[in-house]
Amino acid sequence: MSEKKVIEALIIDLVKLLAEDFQIDSLINPDATTLLYGIDGPLDSMALVNLIADIEDAISEKFSVSISLADEKAMSAHHSPYRSVTSLADAVLERMPS
Amino acid sequence: MKTIVITGSRKGIGKALAEHYLKDGWRVAGCSRDDASIEHSHYFHFSLDVSDEDAVIAMAHKIKTDFGRVNALLNNAGIASMNHALLTPAKTVNQILQTNVVGTFIFCREMAKLMRSTDNARIVNFTTIAHPLNLEGEAIYAASKAAVESLTRILSRELAALKITVNAVGPTPIDTDLIRGVPEDKMKALLSRQSIQRMGKVTDVINAIDFYLSEKSDFITGQVLYLGGVS
Ligand SMILES: NC(=O)c1ccc[n+]([C@@H]2O[C@H](COP(=O)([O-])OP(=O)(O)OC[C@H]3O[C@@H](n4cnc5c(N)ncnc54)[C@H](OP(=O)(O)O)[C@@H]3O)[C@@H](O)[C@H]2O)c1
Repeated sequence: MSEKKVIEALIIDLVKLLAEDFQIDSLINPDATTLLYGIDGPLDSMALVNLIADIEDAISEKFSVSISLADEKAMSAHHSPYRSVTSLADAVLERMPS
Repeated sequence: MKTIVITGSRKGIGKALAEHYLKDGWRVAGCSRDDASIEHSHYFHFSLDVSDEDAVIAMAHKIKTDFGRVNALLNNAGIASMNHALLTPAKTVNQILQTNVVGTFIFCREMAKLMRSTDNARIVNFTTIAHPLNLEGEAIYAASKAAVESLTRILSRELAALKITVNAVGPTPIDTDLIRGVPEDKMKALLSRQSIQRMGKVTDVINAIDFYLSEKSDFITGQVLYLGGVS
Protein backbone atom coordinates (compact mmCIF):
# COMPACT_ATOMS: atom_id res chain seq x y z
CA MET A 1 0.00 0.00 0.00
CA SER A 2 1.29 3.50 -0.80
CA GLU A 3 1.98 5.82 2.09
CA LYS A 4 -1.01 7.96 1.09
CA LYS A 5 -3.32 4.94 1.20
CA VAL A 6 -1.98 4.01 4.65
CA ILE A 7 -2.73 7.47 5.94
CA GLU A 8 -6.15 7.57 4.29
CA ALA A 9 -6.99 4.25 5.95
CA LEU A 10 -5.90 5.61 9.30
CA ILE A 11 -8.04 8.73 8.83
CA ILE A 12 -11.02 6.65 7.72
CA ASP A 13 -10.81 4.60 10.93
CA LEU A 14 -10.70 7.78 12.99
CA VAL A 15 -13.65 9.29 11.10
CA LYS A 16 -15.67 6.14 11.84
CA LEU A 17 -14.94 6.44 15.57
CA LEU A 18 -15.79 10.12 15.49
CA ALA A 19 -19.05 9.40 13.64
CA GLU A 20 -20.04 7.05 16.47
CA ASP A 21 -19.05 9.51 19.20
CA PHE A 22 -20.79 12.47 17.59
CA GLN A 23 -23.64 10.38 16.10
CA ILE A 24 -23.06 11.57 12.54
CA ASP A 25 -24.92 9.02 10.39
CA SER A 26 -23.51 10.23 7.08
CA LEU A 27 -19.98 9.38 8.22
CA ILE A 28 -20.52 5.82 9.42
CA ASN A 29 -19.01 4.39 6.19
CA PRO A 30 -16.52 6.94 4.89
CA ASP A 31 -14.13 6.49 1.99
CA ALA A 32 -11.29 8.63 0.63
CA THR A 33 -13.63 11.00 -1.21
CA THR A 34 -15.98 11.58 1.74
CA LEU A 35 -16.51 15.27 2.44
CA LEU A 36 -15.85 16.22 6.06
CA TYR A 37 -15.79 19.95 6.66
CA GLY A 38 -16.93 23.07 4.82
CA ILE A 39 -19.49 23.07 1.99
CA ASP A 40 -21.50 19.82 2.21
CA GLY A 41 -19.26 18.52 4.99
CA PRO A 42 -21.16 17.19 8.05
CA LEU A 43 -18.57 18.06 10.73
CA ASP A 44 -19.10 21.08 12.98
CA SER A 45 -16.06 22.89 14.35
CA MET A 46 -16.00 20.90 17.60
CA ALA A 47 -16.04 17.59 15.76
CA LEU A 48 -13.34 18.86 13.40
CA VAL A 49 -11.15 19.90 16.36
CA ASN A 50 -11.48 16.39 17.77
CA LEU A 51 -10.71 14.75 14.45
CA ILE A 52 -7.60 16.88 13.87
CA ALA A 53 -6.31 16.11 17.37
CA ASP A 54 -7.08 12.39 16.86
CA ILE A 55 -5.16 12.38 13.57
CA GLU A 56 -2.16 14.19 15.11
CA ASP A 57 -2.19 11.66 17.97
CA ALA A 58 -2.45 8.66 15.67
CA ILE A 59 0.36 9.92 13.42
CA SER A 60 2.56 10.49 16.44
CA GLU A 61 1.83 6.98 17.74
CA LYS A 62 2.29 5.21 14.39
CA PHE A 63 5.28 7.15 12.99
CA SER A 64 6.78 8.71 16.15
CA VAL A 65 6.66 12.20 14.63
CA SER A 66 4.67 15.15 15.86
CA ILE A 67 2.91 17.20 13.22
CA SER A 68 0.53 20.12 13.52
CA LEU A 69 -2.31 20.19 11.03
CA ALA A 70 -3.48 23.61 12.18
CA ASP A 71 -0.56 25.65 10.89
CA GLU A 72 -0.26 28.78 8.77
CA LYS A 73 -0.14 26.73 5.62
CA ALA A 74 -3.53 25.22 6.45
CA MET A 75 -5.02 28.63 7.26
CA SER A 76 -3.80 30.25 4.06
CA ALA A 77 -4.42 27.31 1.72
CA HIS A 78 -6.73 28.14 -1.18
CA HIS A 79 -8.64 24.89 -0.64
CA SER A 80 -9.03 23.91 3.03
CA PRO A 81 -7.06 20.74 3.81
CA TYR A 82 -9.91 19.75 6.15
CA ARG A 83 -12.55 19.31 3.44
CA SER A 84 -12.20 15.57 2.79
CA VAL A 85 -10.40 12.41 3.85
CA THR A 86 -8.05 12.59 0.88
CA SER A 87 -7.20 16.27 1.35
CA LEU A 88 -6.43 15.57 5.00
CA ALA A 89 -4.17 12.70 4.00
CA ASP A 90 -2.32 15.06 1.62
CA ALA A 91 -1.96 17.59 4.44
CA VAL A 92 -0.51 14.90 6.73
CA LEU A 93 1.96 13.76 4.05
CA GLU A 94 3.10 17.34 3.38
CA ARG A 95 3.88 17.79 7.07
CA MET A 96 5.70 14.50 7.63
CA PRO A 97 9.49 14.77 7.67
CA SER A 98 10.77 12.98 4.55
CA MET B 1 -1.14 9.88 39.16
CA LYS B 2 -2.49 13.19 37.86
CA THR B 3 -0.27 15.42 35.72
CA ILE B 4 -0.14 19.19 36.02
CA VAL B 5 1.78 21.40 33.59
CA ILE B 6 3.19 24.58 35.13
CA THR B 7 4.93 27.14 32.94
CA GLY B 8 7.66 29.36 34.37
CA SER B 9 8.45 26.91 37.17
CA ARG B 10 12.15 27.81 37.63
CA LYS B 11 11.55 30.60 40.14
CA GLY B 12 8.99 32.91 41.72
CA ILE B 13 5.33 31.94 41.94
CA GLY B 14 5.72 29.11 39.39
CA LYS B 15 8.39 27.36 41.47
CA ALA B 16 6.26 27.63 44.61
CA LEU B 17 3.28 26.22 42.72
CA ALA B 18 5.36 23.31 41.42
CA GLU B 19 6.60 22.50 44.92
CA HIS B 20 3.08 22.74 46.32
CA TYR B 21 1.56 20.36 43.75
CA LEU B 22 4.47 17.92 44.07
CA LYS B 23 3.80 17.79 47.80
CA ASP B 24 0.13 17.28 47.01
CA GLY B 25 0.94 14.12 45.02
CA TRP B 26 0.81 15.43 41.45
CA ARG B 27 3.31 14.70 38.71
CA VAL B 28 4.57 18.12 37.58
CA ALA B 29 5.78 18.95 34.06
CA GLY B 30 7.42 22.34 34.39
CA CYS B 31 9.20 24.60 31.96
CA SER B 32 11.23 27.78 31.68
CA ARG B 33 13.98 29.10 29.40
CA ASP B 34 16.65 28.13 31.91
CA ASP B 35 17.47 24.80 33.54
CA ALA B 36 15.40 23.27 36.34
CA SER B 37 15.79 24.46 39.91
CA ILE B 38 13.69 21.65 41.39
CA GLU B 39 14.88 18.11 41.96
CA HIS B 40 12.12 15.62 42.64
CA SER B 41 11.34 12.19 41.24
CA HIS B 42 7.96 13.42 39.96
CA TYR B 43 9.23 16.70 38.50
CA PHE B 44 10.08 16.89 34.79
CA HIS B 45 11.59 20.07 33.39
CA PHE B 46 11.51 21.29 29.80
CA SER B 47 13.90 24.11 28.95
CA LEU B 48 12.01 26.15 26.39
CA ASP B 49 10.56 29.53 25.58
CA VAL B 50 6.77 29.37 25.96
CA SER B 51 6.31 31.26 22.69
CA ASP B 52 8.36 28.72 20.69
CA GLU B 53 5.58 26.77 19.01
CA ASP B 54 7.73 23.84 17.85
CA ALA B 55 9.29 23.41 21.29
CA VAL B 56 5.87 23.41 22.99
CA ILE B 57 4.53 20.87 20.48
CA ALA B 58 7.58 18.67 21.20
CA MET B 59 6.94 19.02 24.96
CA ALA B 60 3.31 17.97 24.47
CA HIS B 61 4.46 15.00 22.40
CA LYS B 62 6.85 13.89 25.15
CA ILE B 63 4.18 14.27 27.84
CA LYS B 64 1.72 12.29 25.74
CA THR B 65 4.26 9.50 25.16
CA ASP B 66 5.46 9.33 28.77
CA PHE B 67 2.35 10.14 30.81
CA GLY B 68 -0.57 9.82 28.37
CA ARG B 69 -2.57 12.84 29.38
CA VAL B 70 -2.69 16.16 31.21
CA ASN B 71 -5.17 17.01 33.97
CA ALA B 72 -4.30 20.64 34.60
CA LEU B 73 -2.33 23.54 33.13
CA LEU B 74 -1.15 26.65 34.99
CA ASN B 75 -0.03 29.32 32.51
CA ASN B 76 2.18 31.10 35.01
CA ALA B 77 5.19 32.14 32.88
CA GLY B 78 5.11 35.87 32.38
CA ILE B 79 7.29 38.93 32.05
CA ALA B 80 6.67 42.60 32.77
CA SER B 81 8.30 45.88 31.95
CA MET B 82 7.44 48.80 34.15
CA ASN B 83 8.04 51.88 32.07
CA HIS B 84 6.32 54.98 30.74
CA ALA B 85 4.75 54.27 27.35
CA LEU B 86 6.88 56.95 25.69
CA LEU B 87 10.00 55.13 26.87
CA THR B 88 8.95 51.63 25.79
CA PRO B 89 10.64 50.24 22.67
CA ALA B 90 8.65 48.06 20.26
CA LYS B 91 11.06 45.20 20.92
CA THR B 92 9.95 45.13 24.57
CA VAL B 93 6.31 45.28 23.50
CA ASN B 94 6.82 42.26 21.26
CA GLN B 95 8.66 40.29 23.94
CA ILE B 96 5.89 40.85 26.48
CA LEU B 97 3.13 39.95 24.04
CA GLN B 98 5.04 36.87 22.85
CA THR B 99 5.56 35.48 26.34
CA ASN B 100 2.32 36.51 28.03
CA VAL B 101 -0.19 36.16 25.20
CA VAL B 102 1.28 33.92 22.50
CA GLY B 103 2.85 31.58 25.08
CA THR B 104 -0.39 31.28 27.03
CA PHE B 105 -2.30 30.59 23.84
CA ILE B 106 0.07 27.91 22.51
CA PHE B 107 0.08 26.09 25.85
CA CYS B 108 -3.74 26.20 26.06
CA ARG B 109 -4.00 24.78 22.55
CA GLU B 110 -1.44 22.01 22.91
CA MET B 111 -2.36 20.90 26.44
CA ALA B 112 -6.12 21.01 25.73
CA LYS B 113 -5.46 18.29 23.15
CA LEU B 114 -3.94 16.16 25.92
CA MET B 115 -6.89 16.87 28.21
CA ARG B 116 -9.53 15.52 25.85
CA SER B 117 -9.49 12.08 27.43
CA THR B 118 -9.85 13.33 31.00
CA ASP B 119 -12.92 14.47 32.86
CA ASN B 120 -12.57 17.60 34.95
CA ALA B 121 -9.54 19.09 33.23
CA ARG B 122 -8.49 22.57 34.30
CA ILE B 123 -6.65 25.51 32.80
CA VAL B 124 -5.69 28.48 34.96
CA ASN B 125 -4.19 31.58 33.31
CA PHE B 126 -2.37 34.43 35.01
CA THR B 127 -3.47 38.04 34.89
CA THR B 128 -2.73 40.92 37.27
CA ILE B 129 -4.54 43.67 39.15
CA ALA B 130 -2.53 46.12 36.98
CA HIS B 131 -5.20 45.61 34.32
CA PRO B 132 -8.39 46.55 36.26
CA LEU B 133 -6.49 49.32 38.09
CA ASN B 134 -5.22 50.78 34.78
CA LEU B 135 -1.79 51.25 36.35
CA GLU B 136 0.37 53.95 34.82
CA GLY B 137 3.77 52.67 33.76
CA GLU B 138 2.44 49.21 32.99
CA ALA B 139 0.60 49.85 29.72
CA ILE B 140 1.96 46.91 27.74
CA TYR B 141 2.07 44.47 30.65
CA ALA B 142 -1.54 45.30 31.59
CA ALA B 143 -2.65 45.18 27.95
CA SER B 144 -1.04 41.75 27.55
CA LYS B 145 -2.95 40.50 30.59
CA ALA B 146 -6.19 42.04 29.26
CA ALA B 147 -5.61 39.84 26.23
CA VAL B 148 -5.07 36.84 28.52
CA GLU B 149 -8.39 37.57 30.25
CA SER B 150 -10.21 37.74 26.93
CA LEU B 151 -8.55 34.51 25.85
CA THR B 152 -9.66 32.92 29.12
CA ARG B 153 -13.30 33.86 28.61
CA ILE B 154 -13.48 32.76 24.99
CA LEU B 155 -11.54 29.51 25.52
CA SER B 156 -13.84 28.70 28.44
CA ARG B 157 -16.65 28.56 25.88
CA GLU B 158 -14.69 26.79 23.16
CA LEU B 159 -13.34 24.13 25.53
CA ALA B 160 -16.50 23.56 27.59
CA ALA B 161 -17.56 20.72 25.29
CA LEU B 162 -14.28 18.97 26.15
CA LYS B 163 -15.08 19.34 29.87
CA ILE B 164 -12.14 21.69 30.38
CA THR B 165 -12.67 24.74 32.58
CA VAL B 166 -10.60 27.85 31.85
CA ASN B 167 -10.22 30.52 34.52
CA ALA B 168 -7.71 33.17 35.55
CA VAL B 169 -6.20 34.45 38.75
CA GLY B 170 -5.06 38.05 39.15
CA PRO B 171 -2.53 38.47 41.97
CA THR B 172 -1.62 41.71 43.71
CA PRO B 173 2.12 42.49 44.03
CA ILE B 174 4.04 39.54 45.47
CA ASP B 175 7.71 39.75 46.36
CA THR B 176 9.42 38.08 43.36
CA ASP B 177 11.99 39.16 40.76
CA LEU B 178 9.13 40.39 38.56
CA ILE B 179 8.54 43.47 40.70
CA ARG B 180 12.10 44.03 42.03
CA GLY B 181 12.49 47.23 40.03
CA VAL B 182 9.32 48.96 41.23
CA PRO B 183 10.18 51.97 43.46
CA GLU B 184 8.88 51.91 47.05
CA ASP B 185 6.62 54.96 46.68
CA LYS B 186 4.95 53.44 43.59
CA MET B 187 4.40 50.19 45.50
CA LYS B 188 2.83 52.01 48.47
CA ALA B 189 0.51 53.94 46.14
CA LEU B 190 -0.48 50.68 44.47
CA LEU B 191 -1.20 48.83 47.73
CA SER B 192 -3.38 51.75 48.87
CA ARG B 193 -5.73 51.03 45.98
CA GLN B 194 -6.42 47.48 47.21
CA SER B 195 -9.27 46.80 49.67
CA ILE B 196 -6.86 44.77 51.79
CA GLN B 197 -3.67 46.79 51.76
CA ARG B 198 -0.86 44.27 52.10
CA MET B 199 1.56 42.52 49.77
CA GLY B 200 0.26 39.28 48.34
CA LYS B 201 1.76 35.91 49.27
CA VAL B 202 2.29 32.88 47.12
CA THR B 203 -0.13 31.01 49.39
CA ASP B 204 -2.87 33.48 48.37
CA VAL B 205 -2.36 32.42 44.74
CA ILE B 206 -2.20 28.72 45.66
CA ASN B 207 -5.49 29.06 47.53
CA ALA B 208 -7.23 30.51 44.47
CA ILE B 209 -5.77 27.85 42.19
CA ASP B 210 -6.67 25.01 44.57
CA PHE B 211 -10.24 26.30 44.35
CA TYR B 212 -10.22 26.24 40.53
CA LEU B 213 -8.61 22.77 40.45
CA SER B 214 -11.09 21.24 42.88
CA GLU B 215 -13.37 18.63 41.30
CA LYS B 216 -16.27 20.54 42.83
CA SER B 217 -15.42 23.58 40.68
CA ASP B 218 -16.62 21.94 37.46
CA PHE B 219 -19.36 24.59 37.04
CA ILE B 220 -16.91 27.48 37.34
CA THR B 221 -15.37 28.64 34.09
CA GLY B 222 -14.48 31.85 32.26
CA GLN B 223 -13.90 33.65 35.57
CA VAL B 224 -11.19 36.07 36.64
CA LEU B 225 -10.44 36.21 40.36
CA TYR B 226 -8.48 39.26 41.52
CA LEU B 227 -6.84 39.08 44.92
CA GLY B 228 -6.72 41.79 47.59
CA GLY B 229 -10.24 43.05 46.95
CA VAL B 230 -9.55 44.61 43.56
CA SER B 231 -12.42 44.49 41.11
N1 LIG C 1 4.94 38.88 41.35
C1 LIG C 1 3.92 39.68 41.22
O1 LIG C 1 3.83 40.70 41.87
C2 LIG C 1 2.80 39.32 40.26
C3 LIG C 1 1.61 40.07 40.34
C4 LIG C 1 0.57 39.80 39.46
C5 LIG C 1 0.72 38.79 38.52
N2 LIG C 1 1.88 38.09 38.46
C6 LIG C 1 1.99 37.06 37.42
O2 LIG C 1 2.44 35.86 37.99
C7 LIG C 1 3.22 35.12 37.05
C8 LIG C 1 4.54 34.71 37.67
O3 LIG C 1 5.25 35.86 38.05
P1 LIG C 1 6.50 35.84 39.06
O4 LIG C 1 6.33 37.00 39.94
O5 LIG C 1 6.67 34.50 39.65
O6 LIG C 1 7.69 36.18 38.03
P2 LIG C 1 9.25 35.74 38.09
O7 LIG C 1 9.69 35.57 39.49
O8 LIG C 1 9.94 36.76 37.24
O9 LIG C 1 9.27 34.31 37.37
C9 LIG C 1 8.87 34.17 36.03
C10 LIG C 1 9.02 32.72 35.62
O10 LIG C 1 8.64 32.58 34.26
C11 LIG C 1 9.74 32.01 33.51
N3 LIG C 1 9.70 32.65 32.18
C12 LIG C 1 9.75 33.95 31.86
N4 LIG C 1 9.68 34.12 30.54
C13 LIG C 1 9.59 32.89 29.99
C14 LIG C 1 9.49 32.41 28.66
N5 LIG C 1 9.48 33.23 27.59
N6 LIG C 1 9.41 31.07 28.47
C15 LIG C 1 9.43 30.21 29.51
N7 LIG C 1 9.52 30.61 30.80
C16 LIG C 1 9.59 31.94 31.03
C17 LIG C 1 10.99 32.32 34.33
O11 LIG C 1 12.02 31.36 34.16
P3 LIG C 1 13.23 31.54 33.08
O12 LIG C 1 13.87 32.85 33.37
O13 LIG C 1 14.12 30.34 33.34
O14 LIG C 1 12.60 31.49 31.71
C18 LIG C 1 10.44 32.20 35.75
O15 LIG C 1 10.43 30.85 36.16
C19 LIG C 1 3.36 36.03 35.83
O16 LIG C 1 2.42 35.64 34.84
C20 LIG C 1 3.02 37.40 36.35
O17 LIG C 1 2.51 38.25 35.36
C21 LIG C 1 2.93 38.33 39.31
